[in-house]
Amino acid sequence: MSIKLEEHTPPGWDYNPSGWDDRIPILILASIGTCIASYLALYQLNFLNTIWEPFFGNGSKEVLHSAVSKVLPIPDGALGAIAYLADVVTGAIGSTKRWRTMPWIVVMFGIAVGPLGLVSILLVILQPVAFHSWCTLCLASAIISVFMIGPAMDELLASLQYLKRVKHSGHSVWKAFWGNSDIEQKID
Amino acid sequence: MWAQILNAIIGIWLMAAPPLLHYSISGSNSCRIVGPILATFAIVASWEITRGVGKIAILLGLWLLAAPWILAYAEILPILNDTVSGILVISFALVKGEIKNNYGGGWKSLWTKLPVAGN
Repeated sequence: MSIKLEEHTPPGWDYNPSGWDDRIPILILASIGTCIASYLALYQLNFLNTIWEPFFGNGSKEVLHSAVSKVLPIPDGALGAIAYLADVVTGAIGSTKRWRTMPWIVVMFGIAVGPLGLVSILLVILQPVAFHSWCTLCLASAIISVFMIGPAMDELLASLQYLKRVKHSGHSVWKAFWGNSDIEQKID
Repeated sequence: MWAQILNAIIGIWLMAAPPLLHYSISGSNSCRIVGPILATFAIVASWEITRGVGKIAILLGLWLLAAPWILAYAEILPILNDTVSGILVISFALVKGEIKNNYGGGWKSLWTKLPVAGN
């Protein structure tokens, strides 16, 4: 008995990692992340005078106005918002066969999601160790970034495997990386 | 997958434990560094495609077993908590769990000479 595979499923896979059923949940998470980080950035830039903090008293205030949040020219909340927005954009661009029509956007998506998650853990560690405070929305934002990593990595693997097949066939990996319909037709 | 979820829960518990179990300052910092790293890698490893990163928990577990002695904990509860957490974390990290889907040979296919096309 053979099960009918989803359209554009990579060879050796059971499903298509570029399918919308895989990408829409990540897009929803990244959009929520963009909203939370923008709200934190507005507070850090003094456009808002108060911040929502249900659990940790003055925690959010201390964390969001800490020395670390001012290391860069723009507050870390604003940087987070930009990074989440990059996740949304690179997650949304391209069709359900983008793992081979646009490997470059899939790789950019993987880069945007992965390191953002790692920076989030770093900020979570710094909160109690350096400032002895917690910030509820910062933790929520970190949880969101961590939950995006696993589901985003399958698409990256499919693109890298495709580029590997391109290399093995002797075609230009550089051209395939930017999308090349001639190569696509010759490689699975 | 359940093993990774349990490790994530232990990671979150370690973040909350220091004030509840009266950890020393160095012990608190240890928990608050190990906890988020453990929770992060365990959550990422809950997906089949990234299951491998859950192995980082073995190193974190070994550190939990050593920390009470290296950082000279004086109280019994933090010593017990670190030791029990360490043993559980290493045990759960060694559970591979069922891999239901095929991923064209997985990450290791990128380092093999020939591309693997299915099973």
